[in-house]
Amino acid sequence: MKKRIVAFALACVMGLGMVACGGKSSGKSGGGSTGSDELVDGKFKETKHITVEVYDRGIDGQSDPINNMYTDYIKKGMLEDHNVEVEFVSVPRWTETEEINNLLASGGAPDICLTYSFPTIQTYANMGGVLDMKPMLDEYGDELTNLNNWLGDTNIYWNLKEENGNLWAIEGKRANNRRILTFMRKDWLDKLGLEEPKTIDEFHDCLVAFRDNADELLGKDAKKMVPFSISYDAGWRAALLIESQMDPKITDKELYVNGFDDRKLTQKGTKEAVKILNDWYNDGLIWKDFALYTAGDSTEDDMMKAGYVGAFQHNWDYPFRNGEDSIQANLKRMVGDDAKYVAVDCFENSEGKTLKYVDSTAGDRKIFFPATNEEPLASLLYLDWISDPEHIKYLQIGDEGKTHKILDDGAIEVIAAPQGSKEIMNSGNNIDYTITCNGLSLGDEDLTLLSLAHSYPGSDPADVEQAIEYAATNTKPDKNEKVQEIVAENGMGEALRVKSEVAFDTSIVAKPADFDKVWDAAIEDYLSSGGQAIIDERIQKFEAKYGSATTIEE
Amino acid sequence: MKNVTSGETSLPVAKSFNWKAYFKRYWQLYLLLLLPMTYLLVFKYIPMKYVLIAFKKYSLVQSLGEMPWADNHGFQYFIQAFHNKDFLNALKNTVGLNLLDLIIGFPIPIIFALILNELNVKWFKKTIQTIAYMPHFLSWVIIYGLALQLFAPATGFVNMLITNLGGEAVPFLNDPHKWVGTYIFLGVWQSFGWNSIIYLAAIAGISPELYEAASVDGAGRFRKMWHITLPGIKSTIIVLLIMALGNILGSAFDRPFALQNHLVMQNAEVLSTFVYRNGIKGLQFSLTTAVGLFQSVVGVIFLLGANWLSRKFGERGIW
Repeated sequence: MKKRIVAFALACVMGLGMVACGGKSSGKSGGGSTGSDELVDGKFKETKHITVEVYDRGIDGQSDPINNMYTDYIKKGMLEDHNVEVEFVSVPRWTETEEINNLLASGGAPDICLTYSFPTIQTYANMGGVLDMKPMLDEYGDELTNLNNWLGDTNIYWNLKEENGNLWAIEGKRANNRRILTFMRKDWLDKLGLEEPKTIDEFHDCLVAFRDNADELLGKDAKKMVPFSISYDAGWRAALLIESQMDPKITDKELYVNGFDDRKLTQKGTKEAVKILNDWYNDGLIWKDFALYTAGDSTEDDMMKAGYVGAFQHNWDYPFRNGEDSIQANLKRMVGDDAKYVAVDCFENSEGKTLKYVDSTAGDRKIFFPATNEEPLASLLYLDWISDPEHIKYLQIGDEGKTHKILDDGAIEVIAAPQGSKEIMNSGNNIDYTITCNGLSLGDEDLTLLSLAHSYPGSDPADVEQAIEYAATNTKPDKNEKVQEIVAENGMGEALRVKSEVAFDTSIVAKPADFDKVWDAAIEDYLSSGGQAIIDERIQKFEAKYGSATTIEE
Repeated sequence: MKNVTSGETSLPVAKSFNWKAYFKRYWQLYLLLLLPMTYLLVFKYIPMKYVLIAFKKYSLVQSLGEMPWADNHGFQYFIQAFHNKDFLNALKNTVGLNLLDLIIGFPIPIIFALILNELNVKWFKKTIQTIAYMPHFLSWVIIYGLALQLFAPATGFVNMLITNLGGEAVPFLNDPHKWVGTYIFLGVWQSFGWNSIIYLAAIAGISPELYEAASVDGAGRFRKMWHITLPGIKSTIIVLLIMALGNILGSAFDRPFALQNHLVMQNAEVLSTFVYRNGIKGLQFSLTTAVGLFQSVVGVIFLLGANWLSRKFGERGIW
């Protein structure tokens, strides 16, 4: 009898299991059926529910990315203004593309997604997995005053496909159009009696001096000296050097045709730049182990914080980021009060100018609605709400006395929130929440610039000011070619990105005698793996649109 | 079921098989079997229909039936794969690394088990065993972290030791050829202890009388090992060898993925990481499903072949 009961119970459990497995079937869903007639004074008659992607940066001591003071602010505001319930979905920052891929493929992507990768959006759009925003904007555009004012047609219609009128994503705006800078240990320069370098040769001399005086600069840690540091993504980490070797008169066409690899792998001049890196590497000026670390690894940051690194290139505000845990603040704590990085501007091109290729206001984060979004209007209203200058301002600086204070000259200084509190900003100026705005924007240009230097707690505002100035010197903004979709690019992004990194890394570490061989083989591999097909199609589509012209008039 | 014989007490045999009586007697066992069968069905067999993606143009929003067939009678993606030099390179690396793993990694647990079996001091034997098992429980990400600390050219402990002794740093991790050695070494280190368990169990099953008889006949330690222990675990070795051969094209993902870096890609890219990069990250689902299917089919051929060979030579095989 007992046996029978056990068997019966097992059968029941299995039966339940089957039901549970078979229960869920996800149907296709196109755009929802919401219309503006459901709105009364901008508010839905019935409460709507939307989900919004937010990056989880995985920083020690961060606040919960989906539940903190700022998410509360947004949720409350959206409910009051539009009767829309907002739920945040966190996605790891450093694997965002893979994560979004998985969510899209499983039909579980948030209603509002953002990514830096347009090819991802394009691929899913081709499969029918993304909503076309053009008809929605045509219908509801008038109600989206804040969005229109903030992004303007440039950013909203940046990705508009002329051939079929599709708009798969709108571009968030870069509020501060600064990209990459070189940083150097000011205290080391002073100790060795060196000036801040103004040319590549002077920069090189500084690196040599760091290397040769390692004993004086680092004492017993002399062996850990790294005069110039690069890490994973070497093409980005030496971008200013690479760009300085390019032809300053490069045409828009040339820039675009070779532009699929945004590390400028196939541009003319890059080989010469990598040869310089190769010489430096073999001279012991570059971190020997740089290629062994993968994206997101903090070893290099830790070396900077511990004071072993003489110079590096990175985002223009990189050493100042993360308040008391910033590189700058850690360096001061661990090495001494005078230890700090300052921005230098020394990678001059053949015209003697320190030209910096920066992006346009677009080309940063892209916002799109997956096909599973059933509330496109509520989602658009969310974008509108989040683009309201007042809301941006609040999200970026928080409450006076808690996360910022107002200085005598009117500048707003961000102060670090207490550890473990809900007020902690996980990203600089909360850019992870102000998805249509990347960079500080306080509604007033002068106030913004004045405050920008004060928005990095733990760093000296004068150092930040210098970085702000250098980063905006001699900039060359990106242009929007608006050519047709390049079919050859589909699905190639990741494979070619790895090839590009392999080309940079293997060439930098090659023996000087092998450099040409290694570089040429790597480029040949890149081109024959799909790189050439992309270049050819880009030439063809560029010429189809612009004819023989090589300059894009905007 | 024409000639139902009643009143039989012994199990009916093939000729006049009595299904009714059989099930009446054993239905509970079959009911118990239902659970694992359901598991296999739901998680292993039903998902198998999606191998069809390899022959279709994958679309996120269409159901399997709606997706259009790929060109070239559905074989477009297989053709594409075999024209892709990265795939061919990954194939070469997969076979190469797995063969090395087999040649070096397969005998070591056997030798280790034989050695352990000869140890008489119990606590020593247990300690060694435990230490050898431990790496099995480490994730490959952690092992790569350890490897970096030990073998990195500038900051690795081993290389610091070498340079301090006046030698030149050895590029264990950043030279494509030396990397293969490191890869195999770490793989063996991680798994030999764990893999020896099954051999130890087989050795424990050998009758002690055989050893006693051999001792009486004057056989020494190595004679006994060669003539009793090894033949005693021969069938276990063969079964495991067949399974290993079935996996010659298969590859775990985490080990190569965690250990590879951009300097060694030419030797480190294997099929599983190729599929990840191009399929999951590059969204080429059809292409990579084709690669996965190819991998499975070759694996089955190897498995069947090895099994057939083993039967041919008078061993039991796995069926």
